[in-house]
Amino acid sequence: MDIRGLLLVNTENIEELDQTPAALTGILDVVGKSALHRMAERMQQYGITSISAVVETASAFAACNYGLPADVTCVTATADRFWRAAESVFNDMAQNGAELVVLVRLGNYAEADFEKLVQCHLDQQGRVTQMEWGALPLEIFCISASRRNDAASLFRTQLTHCRSECPRLQHEGYFNPLASPRDLRQFAIDILTRKTQTCPAGKETKPGVWIAPGALIEKGARVLAPAFVGSLARIRAGAVITRCSSVERNAEVDCGTIVENSTVLPFSYVGAGLDLGHSVAGMGRIVNLRRDISVEIADRKLIALLSSASSKRLLTAAMEVLTYLPRQAWQGIFAGAKAQQPDLQATLRQTSPALGDAADFETPACDPEAAQEFRNMVVARRYGHQ
Amino acid sequence: MDINSRPVVVKRMPERVNTRTAREFLRDVRPFLAADRPQLVFDLSQVVQLDAAGVEMLLRCMSEAHKRDGDVKLASLSGQAAVVLELTRTERLFEIYETSTEAARSFSGFLPNAMRQQLLHNKRPPAPAAA
Repeated sequence: MDIRGLLLVNTENIEELDQTPAALTGILDVVGKSALHRMAERMQQYGITSISAVVETASAFAACNYGLPADVTCVTATADRFWRAAESVFNDMAQNGAELVVLVRLGNYAEADFEKLVQCHLDQQGRVTQMEWGALPLEIFCISASRRNDAASLFRTQLTHCRSECPRLQHEGYFNPLASPRDLRQFAIDILTRKTQTCPAGKETKPGVWIAPGALIEKGARVLAPAFVGSLARIRAGAVITRCSSVERNAEVDCGTIVENSTVLPFSYVGAGLDLGHSVAGMGRIVNLRRDISVEIADRKLIALLSSASSKRLLTAAMEVLTYLPRQAWQGIFAGAKAQQPDLQATLRQTSPALGDAADFETPACDPEAAQEFRNMVVARRYGHQ
Repeated sequence: MDINSRPVVVKRMPERVNTRTAREFLRDVRPFLAADRPQLVFDLSQVVQLDAAGVEMLLRCMSEAHKRDGDVKLASLSGQAAVVLELTRTERLFEIYETSTEAARSFSGFLPNAMRQQLLHNKRPPAPAAA
């Protein structure tokens, strides 16, 4: 039987991490692979070899396969042409001899049993069969390719309504709505703790530590299980990656930074000596999950977006090396021109202008009587939280 | 009895604390920091963006205050400010309070309890002898 797979991903507002639509998380790497990639692999595991993906992009000329396997055809379309492109790909499949088309739209990531879905579809002799999770209908369908009108009505209503009544199949496996950064983080935790059938995309170098090819972990850096370091990612000396943290491909964690229970998105830079915890960092912002807040970080010393073009990254690194000595010399010249600090004793003796009318008032804390009584006492600093 | 009646200066930080605004803010608070045992509270309720220069300025203020045996406390931290302070590991260096009033009030409780009790005890009139 000729069964083909069709994957749909909408990618609007890709820059806005906090306002991420569910669709964006479909192409965002989580522990080395995107949900789109994982779903394509899952279809292939079920023997669906001919797969096409339709991905929405901002530009009509964007050509990208989103890291998908080479045998997966990727079609990009702008927002206004997205559903028409999806319908067109479906029609091509039907014309080329497909009997059934398994249609999945990401956002949601569900480890569906496609064999069961196809069997249910054949048993029910329906035109379209849909999966559901509890009472929630999932955007996972099995469509008879010959029923083009049913498929067309489904695409034209953006998968919300089908012309004919479609039987439902209950999903029993892993499900993640992937609707927010919190879900994205939970997905990473679930993959690293092996609650999902899908695995981290790397080699398990130690129990619970997955390192993808090309990752550079400098001497003195520590990666503590469970954790993942993506391909071409760089963990600098003294950095610690721990508690289900995931540093995605081409990301960089600078010296001495602690990444704890966090995700560093692809092509992101996390500055030196920082403490990144319970967060998703990247695209110039941090989403702190404990505080449930998204913070834009304008300072490139803290969080920055690295260029996705390797030549540009190489050029930046070369510029850094070339300008190192002149910068040091410049700093050396002007280091001596610092303002003189006022003498502490003189400052202590003078009356503060900030005290205003209270300047003449003898405060009990400076009471000479108290000073005499506690001559040898040193007042230790206290902290509010201690 | 009020043990410590030196004034507490409460200063609200600007919405965006970058290199330029941090310098301006430091210029504004410098006279207060130059006082004997300065007591400052920075209200961060309006801060929506805080960068490394802002954090450096806060540390500088604290260091200046400590030199003169004073202190700088933070109050009403906005979520954004709290995230950046946590990220830069500086939140543990400051005393942080929910409101500026609480922060200002905390200065009067600075003296160790033992010292405060002894002061109170010495100033109390002697109890009349039992008949």
